[in-house]
Amino acid sequence: MSVSSSRKTTRILSAELDKLITMPLIWRTFVATFIINLVLTAAFTSASLQGAADTKSVLNIGLASMIYLQAGFIILGILATCSEYTGGQVQTTLTTIPWRGLQLISKHLALAVFTFPAALVITASGVLYTVLMMQDTVAGIGINTMIQTVVGAAGYLTVTTLLSAAVGALLRRTTPALVVLLGYYFIVSPLMSDFLPRVHNYFPDAAGAYMYMETFSNEVKVLTPMQGTGIAVGWTLIFMAIAIVFYRKRDA
Amino acid sequence: MRAFNAELSKLFSLPGIWLAFLIGAFVPAVIAALDSTAQKEEIIAGVSTRLSEVGYIGLALGVQGIIILGVLAVSSEYLTESSESGGGNQITTSLTVVSSRFHFLLAKASAVTVIGILLSIVAILTTVSATNLILGEYAPAFEAPKLIGVVCYWTFTALLAFGITILTKNGIIPLTVLIINSSVVAVSYLLSKVTKLAFYLPDIAGSNMFMSDGFHTPFTGGLIMFAWVAVLFIIAVIVFHRRDVAS
Amino acid sequence: MLTINNVVKHRGNQEILSGVSFKARPGRVTGFLGPNGAGKSSTLRILLGLDRATSGSALIDGVPFAELQNPLATVGAALDGFGAHRMRTGRAHLRWIARAAGLSHSRVEEVLEIVGLTNVAGKRVGTYSLGMGKRLGMAAALLGDPEILVLDEPVNGLDPEGIRWIRTFLRERAESGKTVLLSSHLMGELAETVDDVVIINHGKVVADGTLEEVIGNHSTLEEAFFALTSKNNGDGV
Repeated sequence: MSVSSSRKTTRILSAELDKLITMPLIWRTFVATFIINLVLTAAFTSASLQGAADTKSVLNIGLASMIYLQAGFIILGILATCSEYTGGQVQTTLTTIPWRGLQLISKHLALAVFTFPAALVITASGVLYTVLMMQDTVAGIGINTMIQTVVGAAGYLTVTTLLSAAVGALLRRTTPALVVLLGYYFIVSPLMSDFLPRVHNYFPDAAGAYMYMETFSNEVKVLTPMQGTGIAVGWTLIFMAIAIVFYRKRDA
Repeated sequence: MRAFNAELSKLFSLPGIWLAFLIGAFVPAVIAALDSTAQKEEIIAGVSTRLSEVGYIGLALGVQGIIILGVLAVSSEYLTESSESGGGNQITTSLTVVSSRFHFLLAKASAVTVIGILLSIVAILTTVSATNLILGEYAPAFEAPKLIGVVCYWTFTALLAFGITILTKNGIIPLTVLIINSSVVAVSYLLSKVTKLAFYLPDIAGSNMFMSDGFHTPFTGGLIMFAWVAVLFIIAVIVFHRRDVAS
Repeated sequence: MLTINNVVKHRGNQEILSGVSFKARPGRVTGFLGPNGAGKSSTLRILLGLDRATSGSALIDGVPFAELQNPLATVGAALDGFGAHRMRTGRAHLRWIARAAGLSHSRVEEVLEIVGLTNVAGKRVGTYSLGMGKRLGMAAALLGDPEILVLDEPVNGLDPEGIRWIRTFLRERAESGKTVLLSSHLMGELAETVDDVVIINHGKVVADGTLEEVIGNHSTLEEAFFALTSKNNGDGV
């Protein structure tokens, strides 16, 4: 029984991965995000090459585009779940895989498997570009710090993607999900950091930022990287749980 | 005229449009209220350097509602998300009802313009009330020319969203680009630090119509933004005219 | 064996199904008939676990759909619409389904051949015509070579050749002892394919029996259908 159920889980997971990688929109989003990130990083780098740069700022500049970068990953997450509702695909999904909780969790897992390497490639390429362009000024920075930061940033983007996927699954339509998530990440969150800075630290994006900010940011730190990771992951799990509850209850 | 009425009723029957109205009517007021609260002491002490911006900042940053309006007006024609059947491309029906594609776009753009003007007036009312409520007698006077500038800015923004969505046929790109660009981390604002050319971007030029520290005069600013809208609309008409409906 | 037992479905204030009961037996093609909006699709969606019944049960060999160990090999379903994302190719669509059920890629090519889509399998589903979409749905339903087929309006949008193919295909399935349940509003078509008939109107079953029993004294199935549904219209609304 346990053998067959673990095989079942593997099958569902690989089916969900199949769905992701055969979706042209997913690849387009990835490529577009990659290119836009490099362009932005190039802009930030050339801007700061004109000014004075200290040793820490390589990471600072290489990841300066994170705030824009996350938009690409928000879209990725939304596409992964909302695409089920295009062309009535969800009917096929649920007649093939009628175990709704398992199916949605597998979808998120598959998304994480796809997203983490993708995020790693994108963040690493940004930092690498900056390092290459600013070779003269980066003497002191350790390779370990660099790896830690890049992995942390990729982790943050993955968590953001999964959170967006859960919101997408909850709302089922691309446009409202996009409006809600972009509205939070780009309008509400910056406002909150101005007006409610203490509370804001416990929200998914601000807490998640501690996953990669620790090493270079000069801002006052309220959380450790582990705490930040925990809070961001916690939010994601809460949204996934809510999405699963609704998914199980609702007519497809 | 009949096509225009049809477009109006199409817009009003979209579920998402109410979200657009809600955001459009209240987000500027909330931002203005937060900003006024933060500035209150300085303003009362008479040392605020940003008195002329109070309230307008909400109207400049709170354009998400109008962006959604412009995007939805087009993307709803192509929307195929439906759990039931294959989902409908409403555009096919629309173009068999109004056979001239130019008239179809014109009617749609007019509907967006009219709703955009109404929505911006509502937003101005809520924002001005919010500012007055918080600052009381210290609230700055809102001048008519600037408020007209706000109406133009909002309407042009809606039409920009509208035009871009015709080109992309999909709401994701215009929503993402325009919402991010309406935020405090706006790309065009960043660019303006790098190059003077950025002052000719539609949102920066357009905001000169009511923000005081402008690079352009309010009139030139408005003209530049209108030029963007006009060029985009012409491109959209040409592309839309040549394209196969189903593709 | 499919058993629909006193299924009631409310959506908002509306009662869409008010106590629907019938059976679809192995070795027979059961036709599920009714005008548009009578509740055919809702019944099938509940049977397939897509929608939840307000009360009553819909069982497949005695268990609800979600409790099947291997759903794809037990029930093949093709509902209204393509059931596929328009940007994926037909082949990619069938492949992820096969993957979920642990079937091989060669099985995908087999069903593509059966429904006659091999030539367009590399094209995006969005470019398919209605008939091709129906064939793709059939291919997905046949993938697991199931004992039971549940088809919503299978002949809708098919060309005459496709209709004939479906008819012979379903007859063969039934004759080899498998269960086939199909919904339709095309009377003439149905009369030549089915063994048993269930007629639904306004969420209630108004006739249930073999083709001969349901036709009864009427000259054709169509006559019987109109007699049964229009009678119900009078007091129903």
